Amino acid sequence: MELILSTLINGLSLGGIYAMIALGYTMVYGIAKMLNFAHGDIIMVGGYVIYVFMATKNPLLAVAMAVIFCVCLGILIEKVAYKPLRGASPLAVLITAIGVSYLLQSLAQIIFGSANKMVTVYDFGSISFLGVTVQVSALVTLACTIVVMIALTLFVKCTRVGRAMIAVSEDKGAAQLMGINVNGIITITFAIGSALAALAGLFYLLKAPTISSTLGAMPGIKAFTAAVIGGIGSIPGAMLGGILLGMVECISYKITAIAPYTDAIEFSILIIILLVRPTGFLGKKRREKV
Amino acid sequence: MKNTMKRILALMAAMLMVATCFASCGGPVNYAENNTEYVIGFSGPLTGPAAMYGEAVKNSAQMAVDEINAAGGLNGVNFKLVAMDDTHDATKVAALYSELLEGGMQVSLGTVTTGPALEFKNLSFEDNVFFLTPSASGDDVPVNENGYQMCFADGNQGKVAAEFVNANFKGQTIGAFYKSDEAYSKGIFDQFKENLDSSVTVVETNFTEANTKDFSTQIDTLKDCKFIFMPTYYDPASLFMTQAKDIIAADAVYYGCDGFDGIDNIEGFDITTIPQKVTMLSHFNSKATDGVAAEFIAKYTDKFGKATLNQFGASAYDCVYTIYEAMKEAIDEGKEIPVTISASDLCDILKEQFEGGFSVENKVTGDKITWEKTGYVNKGAIQYVIKDFNN
Amino acid sequence: MMPNKLKKIKIKHYINYVVIGIMTAVFAIITLTGGRLDSSLLYLLEKIAISIILAVSLSLVVGFLGELSLGHAGFMCVGAYLGGKVSALLADVLGTGFINLLISIVAGAAVAAICGIIIGIPALRLRGDYLAIVTLAFGEIVKSIFQNTSSESFGGALGLSTPRYDKKWLFIYAFLIVLLTLAVVQNFIRSKHGRAVTAIRDNEIAARATGINVTKYKLLTFTLSATFAGIAGVLYSFSNYTVQSVKFGYNYSIEILVMVVLGGMGSINGSILVAALITFLNTKLATILTGDLAVLQNLIYAVILIGIVIYNNAPALKNFRNTYNFNALMKKLFKREDDPSRVGDDTAKWDVVPTKIEMNEVLSIDLVPQDMQDLTGKGGDK
Repeated sequence: MELILSTLINGLSLGGIYAMIALGYTMVYGIAKMLNFAHGDIIMVGGYVIYVFMATKNPLLAVAMAVIFCVCLGILIEKVAYKPLRGASPLAVLITAIGVSYLLQSLAQIIFGSANKMVTVYDFGSISFLGVTVQVSALVTLACTIVVMIALTLFVKCTRVGRAMIAVSEDKGAAQLMGINVNGIITITFAIGSALAALAGLFYLLKAPTISSTLGAMPGIKAFTAAVIGGIGSIPGAMLGGILLGMVECISYKITAIAPYTDAIEFSILIIILLVRPTGFLGKKRREKV
Repeated sequence: MKNTMKRILALMAAMLMVATCFASCGGPVNYAENNTEYVIGFSGPLTGPAAMYGEAVKNSAQMAVDEINAAGGLNGVNFKLVAMDDTHDATKVAALYSELLEGGMQVSLGTVTTGPALEFKNLSFEDNVFFLTPSASGDDVPVNENGYQMCFADGNQGKVAAEFVNANFKGQTIGAFYKSDEAYSKGIFDQFKENLDSSVTVVETNFTEANTKDFSTQIDTLKDCKFIFMPTYYDPASLFMTQAKDIIAADAVYYGCDGFDGIDNIEGFDITTIPQKVTMLSHFNSKATDGVAAEFIAKYTDKFGKATLNQFGASAYDCVYTIYEAMKEAIDEGKEIPVTISASDLCDILKEQFEGGFSVENKVTGDKITWEKTGYVNKGAIQYVIKDFNN
Repeated sequence: MMPNKLKKIKIKHYINYVVIGIMTAVFAIITLTGGRLDSSLLYLLEKIAISIILAVSLSLVVGFLGELSLGHAGFMCVGAYLGGKVSALLADVLGTGFINLLISIVAGAAVAAICGIIIGIPALRLRGDYLAIVTLAFGEIVKSIFQNTSSESFGGALGLSTPRYDKKWLFIYAFLIVLLTLAVVQNFIRSKHGRAVTAIRDNEIAARATGINVTKYKLLTFTLSATFAGIAGVLYSFSNYTVQSVKFGYNYSIEILVMVVLGGMGSINGSILVAALITFLNTKLATILTGDLAVLQNLIYAVILIGIVIYNNAPALKNFRNTYNFNALMKKLFKREDDPSRVGDDTAKWDVVPTKIEMNEVLSIDLVPQDMQDLTGKGGDK
């Protein structure tokens, strides 16, 4: 019981981080229809900004600065690297995103050096609960992710900008004809995605307080996997996929015999799920018209 | 039609010209014949996730070279260090190695990490180039006669750790935490398990490169262990300790290998806040207060800061001095080492030195260092405690 | 006029064989007649050959079938391990000669082909980015499995030790295999099968309606592509002393994808050229930027990458591109008269029609002849 409970909690908190990153992925993909491979590296940038501003010993300021900086960076990247390619092939945009990812990583190494740095943002401590010791930060992460998910859903469903986003994701041309500023909407999407990445960076640091220039790469890929499992473009789907992936990872690490194969297991589950449901759990099925 | 033929012919001619530029006449060539300094080369991860290790080696080796040059070099001839970036990728080594050699490298520090070293050892054996690696600790790295190690071999470390456990924890349960996809970590752990007494039960946990550095599951599995063997680098280890601070019993012991070195210098990580006892098997004491080690630490910190101060660098520093002293001794014994000596000739001289019981004394990573014929190093393993909470 | 024209098309078709063949022959003659090439050049040639095979085989899936694959390195990984193992086992009996090479390549290619079929099955159900993530997952799974093998079987974390071939011969073998790859791939895409594959790319439903067996062709393309990636893997194992699975992550798959995309989708010659250039650039950056400058490598690579993609694809730069491109530069340099027979010579270019993946822009600058653009009114203002 205790074992199940602790694995559950670990899985949920790891899943919360994946979900947070996956939310950003899914937002950008849903509206701009591009795989933003640089998303993971914005997490890394967020982490470094927190590190820089933690010199002030004020966690709230550091987090606020990280969000602001990442939003500006996201908009900048969108304007410089992605916007000129609007209308070009998605593959070209994919390659640019990869280029941006390399660029951010090498800039981070040039600025901050190669040695990993530890940052303790805020020590929430831990509580005992039914005989299981739980890091409070894990609960905070999970709670925040749920709040963000709900907020995003409401934003998309109930505000003008949100509805414009849905319109753009359905049909860019038609949205433009309806008087929606497509470029503006895409920029807003990137801004939101980057803000989410900055928050993901924060939660990542709460869980594993270390930053290096390659921090974002693998969580980025895993979160992308999570987003696809949940159905890419779907906000609750990203949450679902993230939690599922986190759980699988924790259970797999728990069983010694299969622990080294954890990555293989996670990706196998992805393939199996996609074979059964080709658009993920909550993804929309699109009928192809002739 | 005519045009196309013409173009093809022109292309052929151009290629022939290019090719003849590359070609030179047969027979072994001494690429060092235009050298004005002795050239030491190595490759290591200067970018990417393992960059801090490569950087430590680069910084320290450069420091040693500068010192030797400032003191007049070897009979007035200076040394020069060339560092190339292999990003911990064995595939890149062949190109880098040949470029180093063709650029006039005469003696090498091999590679920084084990993976690329497995490639390097064979390439350098083909051309007979001497290397003394500071930190590629794989068991297979020094097997050829041209290769030597400054660090302890992985198998050796695993064995020593197993003996320690056998002596102290007979019939008990201990924990282990290693990285399953890393040659260093897996290598030590396999040897450790092989040499372990059958009465000792090991609770195994591991992680991979793709892990997000969330170790809560592993910590959860290990939470009742009083002794945890951690053959990993300091980076995941420090993270593990931070995350396990409140969960693993305060009187537990973490036992690491030489990869732990530098754990007390991570920016933002205060090891004194870790309640558990941290011990390690190492040849470099980063807390040394006297002797050569303390001098090295002071100089390094002064120049490059504490962030990359670890055994990789200390070992590299010693490597450069060892090569310098070996060459010096050879010259004193009447052998000739002109500045334009070919890598292969220098290798023969150095091999003879090392096989003839050459030793260095009073170094950062050991008081007296000798080498076995197989290339493994012999020096007292200092097992010391970084922090002992119970005292 | 007619036979003359036919001949011309033929030469155009075979120009890449001729160039690669001559180059290989020249280098081969130098090494085999006692001349000595620097090992750095030989290693570079081996790498270029491997990259070309990888890029050409990936371009089958990405450029001609129109599906995005991010797991090409996975097939290569399978080939490298299996071929390397077979060659290591045979080395005691046969030595590292041509026969060993042949057997290992067949073994590696066969296993990679089986993997190609396995991955081809999801490809029948999935499209676009979903398929991309499945191929990425496949690559990571393969990597993870080989990483955890026992040290006796495939070496595990330490990697598999394989015999390295004599560098004087290996690059010759490698380029012969490049020629073989080209022969198979180009004949495939120029055959009715290839036309069927491009038809599926351009409109799957329409292709199905005309009676093309979509299942068969998709599987066939994936298998063919995987087979040659496997062969590249076997070559990789010959050119290294160890095969380490770390190499075959998604980053490597992406590197291959970059070659295909920059080369111009569906342009075999473009892929070849860019594969050679990128391999050369990567090696040179690593050897020129030593010591403290090493951190600049990725920076330079990234800036070049972003720059080229934007230049090649940005709709806003179209006029700029039409004035300042390779063809225009060549024309200026050699003041060549426009040959009227070149106009409408699209039989040679039939395989580079705009793909489904890109809707309104041709990816590479040199895909559509200048004159054709003028005819369609999209071109410059002359």
